[in-house]
Amino acid sequence: MNALVFQLRPFLQSKRARPGYVLVGALLLFLAVAVQNGAVPVNTSDWLSAIGLGEQQVSAGGAYVLWNIRLPRAVFSVLVGAALGLAGALTQGLFRNPLADPGLLGVSAGAACAAALTIVVFSGLNLPLPISWRVWLLPAAAFGGALSVCFTLDRIARWITPGSIAGLLLTGVALNALAAAVIGLCTYLATDEQLRSLSFWTLGSLAGGNWTLVGLLTFLLLIAWWRVRYLDRAMNALALGESAAAHVGVDVSHLRSHVILLVAVLAGFSVAWCGMIGFIGLIAPHLVRVWAGADQRQVVPLSMLMGGLLLLVADTLARTIAIPAEIPVGIFTALLGSPFFLLLLRGARGRIG
Amino acid sequence: MLMKTSTQTRLIQLDSVGINLGASYFGSFTLQVAPGERIAILGPSGAGKSTLLKLMSREWKPATGQVLFNGKTLSSWSLPDLSRHRAILPQASDVAFGLQTDLVIGLGRVARIHDPKLMDIVEASASLAHAAHLLGQRFDTLSGGEQARIQLARVFAQLWDAHDGLILVDEPLAALDPGLQFDLLDSMDAYATARNHALVAILHDINQAMLGFDRLLLVKDGKLVADLPCTREAVPALESLYGISLSCVTDRQGSLVITPLRTSARRRAIDGAMA
Repeated sequence: MNALVFQLRPFLQSKRARPGYVLVGALLLFLAVAVQNGAVPVNTSDWLSAIGLGEQQVSAGGAYVLWNIRLPRAVFSVLVGAALGLAGALTQGLFRNPLADPGLLGVSAGAACAAALTIVVFSGLNLPLPISWRVWLLPAAAFGGALSVCFTLDRIARWITPGSIAGLLLTGVALNALAAAVIGLCTYLATDEQLRSLSFWTLGSLAGGNWTLVGLLTFLLLIAWWRVRYLDRAMNALALGESAAAHVGVDVSHLRSHVILLVAVLAGFSVAWCGMIGFIGLIAPHLVRVWAGADQRQVVPLSMLMGGLLLLVADTLARTIAIPAEIPVGIFTALLGSPFFLLLLRGARGRIG
Repeated sequence: MLMKTSTQTRLIQLDSVGINLGASYFGSFTLQVAPGERIAILGPSGAGKSTLLKLMSREWKPATGQVLFNGKTLSSWSLPDLSRHRAILPQASDVAFGLQTDLVIGLGRVARIHDPKLMDIVEASASLAHAAHLLGQRFDTLSGGEQARIQLARVFAQLWDAHDGLILVDEPLAALDPGLQFDLLDSMDAYATARNHALVAILHDINQAMLGFDRLLLVKDGKLVADLPCTREAVPALESLYGISLSCVTDRQGSLVITPLRTSARRRAIDGAMA
């Protein structure tokens, strides 16, 4: 631990670390704002009792809302945003293209497709599952869908266009279309009630956030972070092109499988519990690159912070703008994201290859 | 001892290596490169020069024959190990995302996990490639000639502390002005000489090949048609390679200057020969 701190010290004091500090500060500030605002008002004593210092019990009123609903949800949205930002940064690095994101590969569509099939087709069959397991059925299906799309993608792309990243992208486009067709078919066949749960998956929501999921996702992000630390230098080399990366000693196909697996796990998890939340994975790395340069060693961690911040802001707005109603956050990210993205494109005109 | 000499005289060795690309077959190529040699590959467009280079660089796997690098089959080398002994300068290549030039040059050494002298090597390679003033800029804001210099510096950095390596170069000078062409050729020459690296370059300019290189590999229709030293005796082979007439003059410094004759002159020469 000491060695790590010692290694990190020159970096933490350097100019390159500054965007990181700014983002962490903004994130903490907004976390406080997000937790403070909502349908149920909270005050200082609720805060105190939530962290175990006050006179009230945690189970009482505002403190309960604070500790069991709002705080886990806010933290969860930061983590999901970080996962999406990381998945986006990795995808863009892999495809050497600032317009790539996990949605483009069909990962999100694959997860939503599996969820749609589960809702419409498998709910008709009486599966011998205990009630307590049923909650996990849909996320598990979505997660499985995301993973299987990724592996199909990798297999097909290796088989049809071996070694080509453009081939991988085009295969992703084809799988995306296939998944969209299956979702369309499910929508067509669904009953009214099933349509409601289907729309959750296509619009996205963070309402399911709780401490269990926060723990699970933290664990996942830590593992992903550990893997990525060894990949980001090689990802930089990939910017030279696939053959030049191989010439300087990077095993491109090995790197590709690693990145695809990471993206599948990260995007799959977030779609499984939150539905399709667009634009975060696209915009977060983009913003970071404009701000702090294109070095993947910077882009990856900053994209996680930026993604977390963006999704926290979007979810807080979605939650509070029309109290007591709640707008699905996926609508919000797309609504704010697309004009913002166009502005970015205009600002970066001539610099995007 | 004898073993050592034999591997030292053959840095890379191609034994009847061939590859099918689409309907056409390229090969078979049989040749050897010794450490420190300067070899120019010449030939008309589409003759298979880049194919030969890609077979030597392991970018393409040969369908027939085998390539030995330092006495070991090329495909059995691990990529990081190989990257410490051979570097490749591509024809022209873009770099995604507008990375900083320092980072691009440093990427030549990405396969080394512990590389304490990285920053010094980056600076030294940049100044050798006449690119020191470009450090700290974004790669995508540079002109074509400046980008070529950064890519060359990246190759320099890759084999900076290696010896008896191999540098493969694919038409690096095509887009540059004549002054810069000579500067960069000189840098490459000095760099390779200091480290006894062999240099294999695809070139279009016959004079550059004759001035700075020891051997010519002439490639035509997917075949190696000649492998001969850079002397005046190579001129007839060059004439038949390109299907043109060449005029040879020895200039005041005593070096050979070769000028292709224009079509009208060529026609006259042919007519004269017929008459």
